[in-house]
Amino acid sequence: MGILQLLINGISLGAVYAIIAVGFAMVYSILKFSNFAQGGIIGLTAYVAYFFHTAFKTPPSIVLTILIACISGTLIAMAVDALGFARVRKKNSPRVYYMLASVTLGMLIESAVTVRFGQVTLGFPSVFARNSFSIGGLTLSTRDMVILAVSVVLLVVLILLIHRTKIGRAIRCVAIDPTTAKLMGINSATVIRFTFMLAGCLAGIASVFLAMKYSVYPSLGSSMIFKGLVGSVIGGLGSLSGAIVGSFLLGIVEMLLVYYLGSSITPALVLGFMLVFLLVRPQGIAGSIVQDKA
Amino acid sequence: MTKYMQGLIVQSATVVIAVAGMFPMTGLTGMVSFGQAAFMAIGSYFMAILSSQLGVPLLLSCVIGVLACVLVSLMIAIPTMKLRRDYFALMSISLNQAVGALILTFSSVTGGAIGYSRIKKVPNLMYIALGIMVLSVFLVYNFKRSRFGRMSLAVKNDELASRSFGIKVYPLKIKNYVIGGIFAGVAGILYAFQTRIIDPSSFDWSMSSELTIFTFFGGTNSLIGSSISAFVLKIMPEYLRNVTVFGQSLQIYRVILYCILIIIIINFRPAGLFGEWEPTTKNLIALARRAAKIFRRGGDADA
Repeated sequence: MGILQLLINGISLGAVYAIIAVGFAMVYSILKFSNFAQGGIIGLTAYVAYFFHTAFKTPPSIVLTILIACISGTLIAMAVDALGFARVRKKNSPRVYYMLASVTLGMLIESAVTVRFGQVTLGFPSVFARNSFSIGGLTLSTRDMVILAVSVVLLVVLILLIHRTKIGRAIRCVAIDPTTAKLMGINSATVIRFTFMLAGCLAGIASVFLAMKYSVYPSLGSSMIFKGLVGSVIGGLGSLSGAIVGSFLLGIVEMLLVYYLGSSITPALVLGFMLVFLLVRPQGIAGSIVQDKA
Repeated sequence: MTKYMQGLIVQSATVVIAVAGMFPMTGLTGMVSFGQAAFMAIGSYFMAILSSQLGVPLLLSCVIGVLACVLVSLMIAIPTMKLRRDYFALMSISLNQAVGALILTFSSVTGGAIGYSRIKKVPNLMYIALGIMVLSVFLVYNFKRSRFGRMSLAVKNDELASRSFGIKVYPLKIKNYVIGGIFAGVAGILYAFQTRIIDPSSFDWSMSSELTIFTFFGGTNSLIGSSISAFVLKIMPEYLRNVTVFGQSLQIYRVILYCILIIIIINFRPAGLFGEWEPTTKNLIALARRAAKIFRRGGDADA
């Protein structure tokens, strides 16, 4: 395989990671905690998407499946927020409890899925008529290219939403300081809830892509959330653009590592990559909030 | 006592040791690690491979296993402890993934996914495990009351203020994490002696989160509380073996049960079941008084 081919595959992989990492970074920028429940949401919506897609005799259009996954992701995110985070927020408990709640909820969803569906891998049916096409000597997978295109469009829309709309400005305000934002007439609670929903919606879309790429199994969500997490650490926690760049970088590095050194050792090397990165540039590519505020 | 029961007690003791090791880090300094099972894996694999394949004496290989944990925890701690606590939590999770990946990669030595089963037998394991458990809880309890523990508490409450009082925050955090790694390594070695087979899936991140859940359930500020909750929560599902829900043994729902319990705790009693209660002489006397009062009142009602 040529190096160009590897790069393109890496970028396409990075695009999916970027969607996960952005959902992660958005919640982090507002509430300053890493939302591991995102993994559970991805896992569960992947099952929803699979069963929706295979329920009909003639499979529905993939756009419809993505829409359904998107809606269910949003709903699950709302439920997660109500169960785990709403009271913590109301009581102003330490941030550790957010993290604990998110890990617990992620684990709860994953083990519930495992108990219900078992440790079986369900293959997502192929969607496209032709699996690959070639341009100028490169063989490209249709699926990967469509995923890449849709992800890029999605990320652009998201950045426009954050930087050009009223709700986006409100999200940025709450990220800087929730109390002051409230004093300035922004309904912080609504903004936080909206952010959770947006992250859930992104998780839903990512889950369909992941299901198409890897098939559906109980630990899909938790294994993928680590990628989003590494992407956002490399990019700098809480920075959207950093998370996107970091994820693409991670996708490329991972693709190269898997190709040259094999897939089983890659997680260990990714940890090493992250450690070196933190030593050299602790704030990540774009991050600013690095040290604990006293 | 049946062999099965003995095994259960050893398993609960290992969990208590690991939870006690997490206490200085989580309870005193306020750092949450979701990767302590990685140290259990490192300790047990080093011990097993050294003692069975290279002929190193058993006790020495246990010590080397624990030393390996110290090294790895330093490797993780040095770059991350200067950063926000979130970075540390994220790194601890990646560590767990990485250790699992390494075990699978070097499967010719470690046995890979099938597991490593050539572990030597240790007589009177239950008494050893219980002894180490009591010892480690005692040690950590003294940590809490020592100068070191008070400094850690200060760092947890206000890092900047404690720095201005001359506490070196960065080395303190590293020390706390290394302590956690040592105890988890010991717990892992005991775990290996009990099960006599270790494989990467028994040290995955659900094991790590289980440890964290136990700590928070009992109360992050109460060592005795989290130790008791760890012991009880670990042993409880075994009694629910015969209870069936939806035609399946309740044991399958073990993780779900833990999760529901901890969500209830987070929502309604964030300080944990025991809050800040510790069995000091004063607290014990107060407890005895209250018990006596209830007992007396009960007697009155009868009369």
